[in-house]
Amino acid sequence: MSKTYEYVPEPALVKGNHDFSSINSLITDINLRPTPKGWYIAFGLSNLLLFVLLFSIGYLIWEGTGIWGLNQPVGWGWAIINFVWWVGIGHAGTLISAILFLFRQDWRTAINRFAEAMTIFAVMCAGIFPAIHVGRIWVIYWVFPVPNSMAMWPNFNSPLLWDVFAVSTYFTVSLLFWYVGLVPDFATLRDRIKSKMGKMIYGVAALGWRGSNRHWWNYEKAYMILAGLATPLVLSVHTIVSFDFAVSIIPGWHTTIFPPYFVAGAVFSGFAMVLTLMIICRKIYKLEDIMTVDHIEKMNLIILVTGSMVGFAYLMEFFIAWYGQVEYEKAIFILRATGPYAWAYWIMITCNVLSPQFFWSKKLRRNVAFTFFISIVVNIGMWFERFVITVTSLSTDYLPSSWGYFSPTIWDVLTYVGTFGLFFTFFLLFLRFMPMVAVAEIKGAMPQADPHNYDPETGDYSPQEIEIPEPNKESV
Amino acid sequence: MSTESSNNEIYGILAEVRNPKELIDIARTVNKNGYKKYDTFSPFPIHGIDKAMSLQKSKLGWIVLGHGLLGFAGALAMIYFMMVYDYPLNISGKSLMNIPAWIPVTFELTILLSAFGAVFGMFFLNGLPRLNHPLFTSDNFKKATNDGFFICIEADDPQFEPDKVRNLLTEAGATQIEEIRDDS
Amino acid sequence: MSDQKTNDTTYWKSLNELAKNKEYKKYAEREFPEDASELTDQVSRRSFLRVMGASIALAGFASCRKPVQKIIPYSKQPEDQVIGIPDYYATSMPFLGAVTGLLVENNEGRPSKIEGNTEHPASGGKTNIYHQAAMLGMYDPDRSRSPRNNGEQASYSDFASFASSHFEDVNRNILFISEANSSPTLQRLKESTGEQFPNSRWVTFEPFGDDNRLEGANMAFGQRLRAIPHFDNADVIVSFDDDFMTPSEHANSVENSRRLTAARKVRSTDDSMNRIYMAESGFSITGGFADHRLRLKTSEIEALVFALAGRLAEDVSGLSAFSGYRNDLTGHAWVETLAQELLDNSENSLLSAGQHHKPSVHAAIAAMNSALGNIGNTVTFHDLPHQGNESSITAFADAINQVQAGNYDTVVIIGTNPAFTAPADLRFSDALTNVETKIHLSEYVNETSALCDWHVNRAHFLEAWGDGRSYSGELSIIQPQIQPLFDGVSEIEFLHTILTGDSGSGYDLVQETWDDVFTGDFNNLWEQVLHDGIFAESGFEETNVSLSGNFGDEISPLLETSITDGIEITIKPDPRLFDGRFANNSWLQELPDPMTKITWDNVALMSPATAESLGLPRERSFSSNDVPVVRISAGDETIEIAAWVQPGHADNAITLYAGYGRENIGRVADGVGVNIYPLRTSNAPYYRPADVEATGQTYEVACVQDHHNLEGRDMVRAATLDEYRENPNFSSYESVHGYEVPGIKEAELDGDDNLAEGGPISLFDEKYGPDYQPQWGMSIDLNDCFGCGVCTIACQAENNIPVVGKREVKRRRIMHWIRTDRYYEGDEDNPGVYHQPVPCMHCELAPCEQVCPVAATVHSEDGMNQMTYNRCIGTRYCANNCPFKVRRFNFFNYTKEYLTTGDDPEIIQMAMNPEVTIRFRGVMEKCSYCVQRVNRAKIDSRKETGSRKPADGTVQTACQQACPADAIQFGDLTDRESVVSQTKMNERNYVMLEELNVRPRTSYLAKIHNPNPELT
Repeated sequence: MSKTYEYVPEPALVKGNHDFSSINSLITDINLRPTPKGWYIAFGLSNLLLFVLLFSIGYLIWEGTGIWGLNQPVGWGWAIINFVWWVGIGHAGTLISAILFLFRQDWRTAINRFAEAMTIFAVMCAGIFPAIHVGRIWVIYWVFPVPNSMAMWPNFNSPLLWDVFAVSTYFTVSLLFWYVGLVPDFATLRDRIKSKMGKMIYGVAALGWRGSNRHWWNYEKAYMILAGLATPLVLSVHTIVSFDFAVSIIPGWHTTIFPPYFVAGAVFSGFAMVLTLMIICRKIYKLEDIMTVDHIEKMNLIILVTGSMVGFAYLMEFFIAWYGQVEYEKAIFILRATGPYAWAYWIMITCNVLSPQFFWSKKLRRNVAFTFFISIVVNIGMWFERFVITVTSLSTDYLPSSWGYFSPTIWDVLTYVGTFGLFFTFFLLFLRFMPMVAVAEIKGAMPQADPHNYDPETGDYSPQEIEIPEPNKESV
Repeated sequence: MSTESSNNEIYGILAEVRNPKELIDIARTVNKNGYKKYDTFSPFPIHGIDKAMSLQKSKLGWIVLGHGLLGFAGALAMIYFMMVYDYPLNISGKSLMNIPAWIPVTFELTILLSAFGAVFGMFFLNGLPRLNHPLFTSDNFKKATNDGFFICIEADDPQFEPDKVRNLLTEAGATQIEEIRDDS
Repeated sequence: MSDQKTNDTTYWKSLNELAKNKEYKKYAEREFPEDASELTDQVSRRSFLRVMGASIALAGFASCRKPVQKIIPYSKQPEDQVIGIPDYYATSMPFLGAVTGLLVENNEGRPSKIEGNTEHPASGGKTNIYHQAAMLGMYDPDRSRSPRNNGEQASYSDFASFASSHFEDVNRNILFISEANSSPTLQRLKESTGEQFPNSRWVTFEPFGDDNRLEGANMAFGQRLRAIPHFDNADVIVSFDDDFMTPSEHANSVENSRRLTAARKVRSTDDSMNRIYMAESGFSITGGFADHRLRLKTSEIEALVFALAGRLAEDVSGLSAFSGYRNDLTGHAWVETLAQELLDNSENSLLSAGQHHKPSVHAAIAAMNSALGNIGNTVTFHDLPHQGNESSITAFADAINQVQAGNYDTVVIIGTNPAFTAPADLRFSDALTNVETKIHLSEYVNETSALCDWHVNRAHFLEAWGDGRSYSGELSIIQPQIQPLFDGVSEIEFLHTILTGDSGSGYDLVQETWDDVFTGDFNNLWEQVLHDGIFAESGFEETNVSLSGNFGDEISPLLETSITDGIEITIKPDPRLFDGRFANNSWLQELPDPMTKITWDNVALMSPATAESLGLPRERSFSSNDVPVVRISAGDETIEIAAWVQPGHADNAITLYAGYGRENIGRVADGVGVNIYPLRTSNAPYYRPADVEATGQTYEVACVQDHHNLEGRDMVRAATLDEYRENPNFSSYESVHGYEVPGIKEAELDGDDNLAEGGPISLFDEKYGPDYQPQWGMSIDLNDCFGCGVCTIACQAENNIPVVGKREVKRRRIMHWIRTDRYYEGDEDNPGVYHQPVPCMHCELAPCEQVCPVAATVHSEDGMNQMTYNRCIGTRYCANNCPFKVRRFNFFNYTKEYLTTGDDPEIIQMAMNPEVTIRFRGVMEKCSYCVQRVNRAKIDSRKETGSRKPADGTVQTACQQACPADAIQFGDLTDRESVVSQTKMNERNYVMLEELNVRPRTSYLAKIHNPNPELT
């Protein structure tokens, strides 16, 4: 056992020869230069969709839950599906910023900022659905432990109530995490922007940050602690979301594998969504130097892993159904694959289990266009996963007499489409007014930031000579 | 420059260096010379500068722990009050003290409070938010959030004498030195 | 004003839930004479005065009318009337020439719920869907509100004055067309019409009457006699297409079902059961209930009957008419088996045939019954005082031809609606054009009214005085529960006006009749009859019958049977709407058909094989409501109607239900289903050959059950009588699955005695609630349930369950709290059927409760799973997590739509039960074990005995009370002697999904068949 491992350095995080200020301007100029026309067009479109959302919610409140396709026995439909889907997407951001941070994965710095942004907006979209899917939207606040006319309290045995706490906590913590990261960059913008107005706004947002190392000292500590807190949090949130199903007694829901399987699925879809957005942004905003193909490849690897985990979970469900010999559970899984909803089931399998397998090939996972395509396929697949779980189990459960088919109405569709309006409206505002890459962090990750890379005598920049192997030759 | 124009009392002397390494070196020198009230500024945190400046371990951890415990105990107390004491109900024939069902909410509230502790504690320790600061009077200091590396020795340091400080910083290799006046 | 306010609150205390509804607030404020002057809305004012009037009037025992003004204020409260405590008054419902005794619940003089009258033989405390739905029928705002002269609104006095002048000329040629009616008073007036108008003729018309039965008896015994079956005396029952448990097929269905199921009750392995054979074309609930069922075309049934008679002739005397007779079915396996059974059980067997079969069939049946010595034991024959001695069908046909010929100048139509229901070939509508004066009395302005010069709006039987005879002849008085909402008049008042020209009071008319009935103190007897709802010992005398001499000659030419080759259609009255007279009753429209589970439509029922031969799918798609449409042509008439595959239906036969496709009747009836009356002719009113072809179009049908097969699951458990005797525990989880309930062993190990016991009694062994509380439980005996659905309507009436309409039912959002699941079992072409009523199971470890985030559904101390409507936010999580799917969600504001339609919603609102909250949009609801009844009983028993535990039997749930088969038992499980505890201790007792350990309080008793070893 005398095998010697030698240190294989990561490929450079930032391509091209940048120094601090060029990176600085590369990123912050996007916010400082005048708004491009394209942005207005995109913003207009997303506002249109946002209006669709508001209108369908308005109509829902006016008419009642009946405008959706729900029925006996299928009491949960697109609303819950969309909720789980968006929350799932919302997991990538915190995962990237927290877990990768704890694992010292510096490459995260290129993408964590807008991954976090995506998280926050996705959770906002998700949060809408539990609020509006109830029959009496105007008393939804009863799910919070607030004193009310009935002197009653919420029921802490209910997974839905756990959800309320989990999702709201997750949203708050992600927001704080995001903002803490933004403070130094707001300071950067404050010091670069010309307009008085801008100075005021960014100045307030930066809370008077001035890069003091006494501050950085506490700041890094805080960031580390937040990462430490966010990591169990991000795992707990989708675990608790999965409890909505796993704690019930409906065959196909009542499964102990749900928590890990849901978390894997969440990371899966989250990374896919990050990729979709990132591939667009790096193109439009010419950030190829920062969001490099290496990043894309790394993320594709995670997609490959989580996708296979999800696939494994699908197999496991069948195995346990067979192994457990509960007739209702056996029936539901066979019905999923062969019954009235087989079409949805096979879409799910194709998109979630088969499509990521292409990433075994290095060529494909370094192919930007192909990655973009798969990233979208994966998100379609993950939507159908939630559809299969939610609808099929309810539509054919214990009593055959009560079996019933669910089909959505136009309002189910419009509400879902509308949430993209909300999402992109916020996302575009973010791209426009906030640095979409964590400037301070990426500077800190550059070789120039390392004191050891300077000549002890002259004090000039002289990085140690380590030849970076051609990534293509590496089998990562 | 501002040093001439304003006749307010002096806040401190700001010196710029070229790069992180020099910032560490100069910080170390200043620290050796027994200055207490000084600070270094950089666009990003720099490895090893804490030793150079011999900074104390941050107290943030304790603040977070306190908040975490508060969240934990508070959550349990709240649930107990609501489910067992104030309005007990027979729900699915389960016992009122249905602890396992309380775990998720307790966990979430613990995290939430800890996170509050971490963020607001950090700002508190840093004396932020603070919207204005004498250093902001220096145009050059703007580089501190871009690619500038600064050290500033403050006037209320017991052994602060402008000329000695100037010399010290120049010897330590500062590229540019400037006097900051508190114009408030 | 202020003291009024206080009045207000105290006065309406019991109605405060109702008062939540805005309409009711208005309504409530109007209850004061001071406000009366401010009233503007005519109708509601009148109705309110009537409500109040009647409430006091009824409080007075004899309930004679008193001047309205005196009795409006409750400041002088009538004795024996406590506000908030309902009163019960006896009355009876006339239907198909027989009445059923009822007991009506009145709240402050507002009838709100109908129950059966235990004193009355036809009811025995039980009811059928028509009785239950009659309440909504009376409060139907679409009923005709005034007489009409040539379509113009008129008053009854106008009509009276017209009548007095018109009928002055006593020599007019008058044709009276009346529906079947057993009322002695009507009989009396009918006779006097005969005397007063020498040239008048009186015919009775019922589109689906029992005329063939009477004619059959006439053929056999030379008298038109009514055959009354006594199912409880019969060990073997052979029914030839006689669906005697369905209200639409037999005027006495409640008593039939009661007696039949009573004789089949199995409490222990020693009990014996009768055996039922059914040969039929469609799949009826009686057929589903039978131990053996044979699918035959309607025209083959006749042949089977004669073949059987021919076979019996070999062994018993008295069937000489059939000796040596043979036909195509003589060789049929059933003939021999039935013959053996009948011979072995002579005197204790019972044969009967459906009323849509030819008189010759009934004659043969009667002959066999008499030959087997059944007459006098299992079946008795009775002379009907109120029946003419001519076949009413032929009489009616003849009369219409006379009309056609212009031989009548006046036609008076009483109640019935021939323009819609008369055989097509009589061309009734054209015929009427040859009459100058046409008068029509009916509850609705219907097809016939449209053709008449005078329409008189008829009073509902709950609004008017009347009388009648039960199927077996007991006399009853029909006592009004409220003054006519729309000034309607009863048929007797109407006839009185025609006779005398002035408007008489039904009360006097009835008393006049009963003067002759009573011997002794009139008032005592009168009050006695009003109180009991029946005049005891007034049943028909049994007629001793013997085959008439010329029976053989009469029947022999009719033995030539003609079995249709090709497709044959059979036309039956709809099980829910009857001949269409209940078409505007939304409770009945939305009640799923017992077999098909279809609501709001009629369809062409056919066997899978027939469907296939027509190029239609054998099964309906699970994911769509669309079903194919077929074109049915018979004679020169053609209809297009949705085709429905009914497993177990006879091949090459199609069953069609009449009563649909009405227009301009009311909001509910209009445009629902297809009118199939055009296919009926006077010589083939019930079945005839027809050409059928697929049209290629599809039609959306609202069916509440999309999957019909148990998938081998154990929701329903059944065994034959022998199997039961071998293994009394056949229905236990262990016997069904071959292993114990998972977890029981473990529970025993850690000494958890809750589970260790197993079985229902452990429900209270575990000291579930505090000792002073009762623990409620329910048991449903699948051996008794035959799927009639009366429990659903009774529940709907008791619990203010809204009707949601076809569109919502199509979306699977029906609101019924108790549904009847129907499963087919075995061969798809000839399956067995199981009916399983499913209310909330009130699980002790209810899965619905723990998942509600706001604790809107929790458990009560007396072990009920309760919904808190005003706490519910409507996540629907509870419904998802309910393994029995019994929870119902208000997707829209159904109750509001239901209770505020029309200009005067107050009327329909009056049908609501003041004890039950109206549910609003966005909340969940479900069976409450009739908690309002339970709590009333608990309060009463606490006042009387100090204990919260009412004596057994004092609480009855609505479904239990209505069920004619006594399948449902409800009571306190802490009382081991209570009926429900005893029932649950029976070996056949089991709970659904026992392995989930949710511990349902509602359990089932397994079904038991009693098949003939020969045929199995």
